[in-house]
This record gives sequence, structure tokens and C-alpha cells, in this order.
Amino acid sequence: MSRLVDRVPDYVRGFERYVPSRPDAALMRQYGVSHLFRLNNNENALGPPPSAMAAIAAFAPERAAVYPSGDAYDLRHALAARFGKSPEQFLVGNGSCEVISSVIKAFCAPGDAIVTADKTFAVYEWVARFSGVEVRLVPLVKQGLDPGGMLAAVTPDVKVVFVCNPNNPTGAWWRKAALERFLRALDGRALVVLDEAYREFVDDPDFPDGMEVMERHANVLVFRTFSKMYGLAGLRVGYLCGALEATDIVRRTHIAYSVNTVGQIAAAAALADDAEHIAATRRMAAGAGDCLRSLFSELGLEYISGAGNFIMVRTPISDTLLYRRLMQKGVMVRTMTGFRYPNWIRVSLAQEAAMQAFSRALRTALDAK
Amino acid sequence: MSDDLCVAMEIPPDVAFASSLAGTARTLAERMGFGRRENLRFQLAVEEFCICLAGLAQPGQPLRADLTGKRHLLRAAFDFRAADLSLGGLNITACTVTRTDGAHAGDLGLLLAAKAADRFHLEHLGADRFVIVAEVDRAYPVLAPVNAPQTMRPPFRLIDGRDPARLTQAAALALAAYPAWQLPSSFRTPEKFADMVLGGQVACAISVDAAGQTAGFLAWSPCSEQALAFSGPFVFASGQDRAEVARQVLDGFLEAVARERYVIVLSFRATDDLIQSYFEPLGVLQACADDGCGQQPVIFRHLREDAGLAVWCSPMIEDFLRASYDRLAMPRDLLPVEEPTSRSRRDSLLGTTLDRQRDLAELQPFLDGRDMAENLAAHVAAIRDKGINRILCYMDLSRAWEAALAGDLIRAGFVPKLVLPYAGQADKVVWQHEQAR
Repeated sequence: MSRLVDRVPDYVRGFERYVPSRPDAALMRQYGVSHLFRLNNNENALGPPPSAMAAIAAFAPERAAVYPSGDAYDLRHALAARFGKSPEQFLVGNGSCEVISSVIKAFCAPGDAIVTADKTFAVYEWVARFSGVEVRLVPLVKQGLDPGGMLAAVTPDVKVVFVCNPNNPTGAWWRKAALERFLRALDGRALVVLDEAYREFVDDPDFPDGMEVMERHANVLVFRTFSKMYGLAGLRVGYLCGALEATDIVRRTHIAYSVNTVGQIAAAAALADDAEHIAATRRMAAGAGDCLRSLFSELGLEYISGAGNFIMVRTPISDTLLYRRLMQKGVMVRTMTGFRYPNWIRVSLAQEAAMQAFSRALRTALDAK
Repeated sequence: MSDDLCVAMEIPPDVAFASSLAGTARTLAERMGFGRRENLRFQLAVEEFCICLAGLAQPGQPLRADLTGKRHLLRAAFDFRAADLSLGGLNITACTVTRTDGAHAGDLGLLLAAKAADRFHLEHLGADRFVIVAEVDRAYPVLAPVNAPQTMRPPFRLIDGRDPARLTQAAALALAAYPAWQLPSSFRTPEKFADMVLGGQVACAISVDAAGQTAGFLAWSPCSEQALAFSGPFVFASGQDRAEVARQVLDGFLEAVARERYVIVLSFRATDDLIQSYFEPLGVLQACADDGCGQQPVIFRHLREDAGLAVWCSPMIEDFLRASYDRLAMPRDLLPVEEPTSRSRRDSLLGTTLDRQRDLAELQPFLDGRDMAENLAAHVAAIRDKGINRILCYMDLSRAWEAALAGDLIRAGFVPKLVLPYAGQADKVVWQHEQAR
């Protein structure tokens, strides 16, 4: 009576699956509400750009019977045209999570290590752990990634350093000079993943452009996504761009045909006409940020408001209790204990109606304490 | 990396293999450096369980034995299949109950196995598959409490909590400074506590002051697949420093477990240094002793968002459950389950853990049986005879048959006190036997 679990590597056996939140309809039934403001995943409340919406609407249902382009051929060409690079420098995945997985599979063997921050996007750490790869977590300094600490953590067995810029969930980011100093000091001793999932929300000229940085550093891979600014989270399209050699290595461990046709078409269309969409989204995020900062100041709550379409706030009660109380009012936020910020929540920045609903629900929930 | 020593064997359900399994148990205990007395008890438990299960297991189905030597205990786990399992002999009351049908109170072998082991646990894995786990503890010396230094100097910082000398000292400090009900039993033998940490059964967040003196700590260990139970924070600093040290070890604890598999953390013995806003109250348990009655709060917090659950619910505690879940703002679907009109198994089985130092007995239903009501009453009487006042019983609401025991528990004098979210496969109800004062 041999047990299935005995055949599983220790690093898989000891890993716990991620439990995503239930569908909206199930949550609304559970919490007895008729409407749900989703402020938990930093989706773009404005939706996709009009050009992407039109492309999705024009998709002929019968085409669902045909496999998508296995390597997102048209989308890679659109990205190449947009950024002035070779299509071969791009690799498109089913969201950037898939690309993270492909990079770790390509560069790390069990026993190798990665370096990242202790309070950052969790998927780097998860994929490494269930792949048997050691994770070295460097504490944040003043809510930002610590270049010196990350450099000190790089030893010969470290294959990849993940730099989330701007950092999710703090919104802190490295300026051009800081990134350049870091890359020079690293001197090619490890691959650097520059995850720019929220870069389109930053308009500061001192924000480093990964597409330009990777031209000078062959060990840099830039990650971007269509899930945030481009409002295509439901279609799951992310990509990486790097030097030809680095991209080719990752392509070997990347599953072809993983990105669906509608996602590829919508993403390419979104790129074609995004200026007004980006401007409108930034306006919405700025207005919502002002609203929430005022609210938190009025309530005397500590908050962290950096780049991106989200704000973190420290809660005077358990974040998970606050989550449930907000859910009873039809507002869904992200608890931050799992990001190693116990008793903080992260709130996505959305339109005024959602921010007002959150404001009312928060006041009520805290009054009940 | 764990320094456990493990041996796994798959044997036919045949008593002829019992002595070779006992021989393996002896070798394991010797290799782990256990004393003669623990070694013999372990051998006896393994051999008797093997003989009994050979008779109970389905013919042709192998019996799997996993023997594990840890720093602080020896463990034997038997994985087997049985069509109509009856293990009444494992009840702590087995030698005192006389059945009305004249039969002996369980098998003598089971009785011996239960007495030889320090504890056992039965898990029903579904259909006809079960796992029974028996453990024998290493004997440790009881150390004297140690008083905390008079002065502590900031800054305080967290350190790696795996230094045996530091762990032993920390447990001894807590032993001197906190009442028994707030302390894990392992603190009374601080070397055991250190071994449990080094063996990975317990983890610690330890704060030290500028001079490296232990300023406080918090210890935790799993109490189910989804829940961690913690003790503390134990704080040895004074004045305004207490709050800082408490916050440091609590933050260190939560950050350490935030990305582990657990859904909640809970505590039956949180200290006054706990930062209340980090947690939610679940309820209170009554604690009566010779010098009067007190209340012991039980607290918890989620580590992630609650995804909701469906739980079994007897009509006899529906109002209690609805009120509890409403207060906790916790979405639950209550699935009605009625009291059984008949039960196929003759003997019920209750797991019992006794802790005289903490004046606590904990009951866990393992198998339902026609004698459940009498068995509950017999357990309560036996525990009271030992002079223990606090008797708790845990009901896992993921199992319909357990949820259906509400009537038996109420008739035996138990009262539902609180709900522990995710403390079992699903939520658990904690019942307490009413103390007559």
C-alpha cells in the first residue's frame, strides 16, 4: 500500500497550493450582497482600451476551434515594432506568472537559489520553492528594495535576482542611477528579472525604462503585462523581453500554445491605440489616490502610497477581519498578511463610486470594532 | 534538514511479523538514544498494535508501518484497511467499563498498546482505510525556573530561534514568569522544548536586547493541517519595553508563517502581552480550581482571506453556530445532520489527552458506536476521578457523524463554548463539560 505522497519531492510535499478567491457570484451569495467592488487585484477599473474591446468583440466564435499561434507570432511582431526590437527578443506567456515559471525552469536546478525581497510579488518565491530552488529573501529598507542587501545575498549558486520595479505592494521604485549602480555592481553574476508590471502607471522621467536598460546589460530580462494598465487580466497575457541569447534560453522551457487567440489579438490591438487609455487610467488612479489618502489621514491610519494603482493602509483591527466586514458591505480588498504585512490591506485605485463605497464600508467596519 | 530516523515496512496482516516489527522498533529507539524504559514501551506498543491490527485488517490487504524516531519522541503509524473497525480497548476507560452484554471491555492487546504509548491518534482516511498513530515520549529532567534579568536595554531585535541553550533558557524564564495554563507542557522540561524546536515540531520568534539577553519569545506548532497554535508572547522586559518586545515577536511570528500553508493561527493560552488588535476573540473557557473560577480567552486570526466553508450542523446547536458565525462575519453554509437512529459499530472510541499541570483533559471522538453516550459518561467520571476539572471535547464539523454527536454531548453535560475556524479538516466546535461548584 505505497502512498502517492511518498513519490513526491520534499519541496513539493511541503508546499501548499495557492487558494484563489471564489468567483464573484459565490462570494456575493456567501456574504449576502448584491454587488461587489473588486479592489483586491489591482485590475484596471476602466477596462481594456477601446481598440482592444473592439478586437474582442470582432472575434468570430468559430475561430475558437482553431489553435492559437503557438508563439504569439503577431503579438511579438507588434511588440517589436512598438519597442524597436527583434520579435525574437520577446516571449509571450499566459500572464507574467507563466513567464516567471519559465525563467526559473530555464536557469535554476534544484539546489540553486534566487534572490528577491521579503515583501514583494509572491510568485517568484512560490515558483522557486515548489521547484526545489532556495529563496533568499532580502528585507525591504524604508518600504523599498535594498540594492546593497540584494547584492550581498548573491553567491555563486544564485541564478536569478527578481527586482519588482515599482514594487508590489509598496509602490517604491529604483531610480535610473540606483538600478544602474546595482547592475554594475552585480557585474553579470546572475540573471536579473526586472518586473515592470506597474511601470505604465509611472510618468516620472527618472523611472528607468527596462527596454533601454536591457540593451546595456545582457543579463537583464524585462517583464511586462497586459493585466494591469491594459485591462486584460481576464485574458492572461504577459511577456518578457531580453537579449536574444537570454530569451532563447527561456524559450526552451516555455510551453508553446499557452496564450489564447483572443488574448493575443486583444493585446496587439491594445498596443496600437493606448495613449488616451493610459492617460485616463492615470487620471483615475491619481484622483482615487487623493481620495484615499485624505480618508486615511482623517481616520489617522498609516498608509503607503507609491507608484501603481494601489495603496496600502495599516488597519487597527486584524486585516482578515476587516476583509470580512468589508465584504459584508460589498467591497473586496486584499489582505496583506500573506505579503508579510500583517494588519495591512491593499486597496486598488478605481473610479469614484468604488472609492466612495470603500470609504463608507471602512468607516462602518472600524466603527464596529 | 530533519534529523528524524524513519523506517517504513509493508507487511501482510499476519501476527508472525509482529516480533520483527518490534525488533525494528527496538533498533530505532536505540539508534535515537532513547532510554531502556521508553524503548521497551515503544516495542510493546508496536508489537501489540501490530498483533491487534493483523486481526482487524482486511485479509489480503497489507499493513503499512511507518516508524519514526524524533529527538523527543518515537512514533509508530499503522496504515490499514478494516471493514468494521472496533477499537474499544483503546479507550482510557477500557479496563473499568463492564459491558452489559458480558463481553470484556475491549481487547487486552489494545489495552496494553494504549497503556504503553503516551498517546495515540486515529485518522479515518475514508471508506475502510484508517491510520493509527502511537507515540512514546523521551524522558527529560524537570528543570528549575529561571528568573529574568533585572534590566534590559534596547534596541531589541529578533534572532534565529534555534540555539538549544537559548531555547532552554527561554522556556525556563517563561516557567518562572507565567501561570501554568499559559505554558505548553514542554516548558516544564525545557530541554524537550529545545529538542522540539530543533526537530521542527515547534518554531520560535525570539527577541533579545542590546546585550543579547532574552527579552521575549513566542512559540508555535501546527494543531491541524490548516491551523497553527501559539503560546505567548512571553515577555521578560519591563515598563514600556514590554509592548515593543511583544510587537516584535508577534510581527516576527506572523511574517514567518504568512506564506506557509496555514489558514489561521489560534491560541488557548495567549498572555496579557498579546496585542489585542492583531486578533479576534473566539470566546472563553471556564477554568475552575480550588481557589475559584476564572475565564480563559481563546483568540485567533486568519492568515489569508476566508474562502467560506460548508459545515455539518446538528439542529441542537444550530442557533449557537449561527450566532458564532454571524459574530465572526464568517460565511458558512450549514448542512443539517440528524442524530442517528441506529449505529452499526458496537464500541465507540474517544481519544484522551490528560495534562494535570494545566488541569486539562481533552477528548476527541475517533469512532462512533452504540455505546457513545455511556462511553462519554465513563470518560467524564474517570477524568473527574483523576482530579481534573477542565474537560474539553472537540467536534470536527467536516464529519457528519461527529456533528451528529451534539445530542450525546449535551446529555453528557457538555456545553458548546466556541468555534475554532479551520482547526480540523473544517471548523471545530469546542465543548466544555460543565463544572459543578
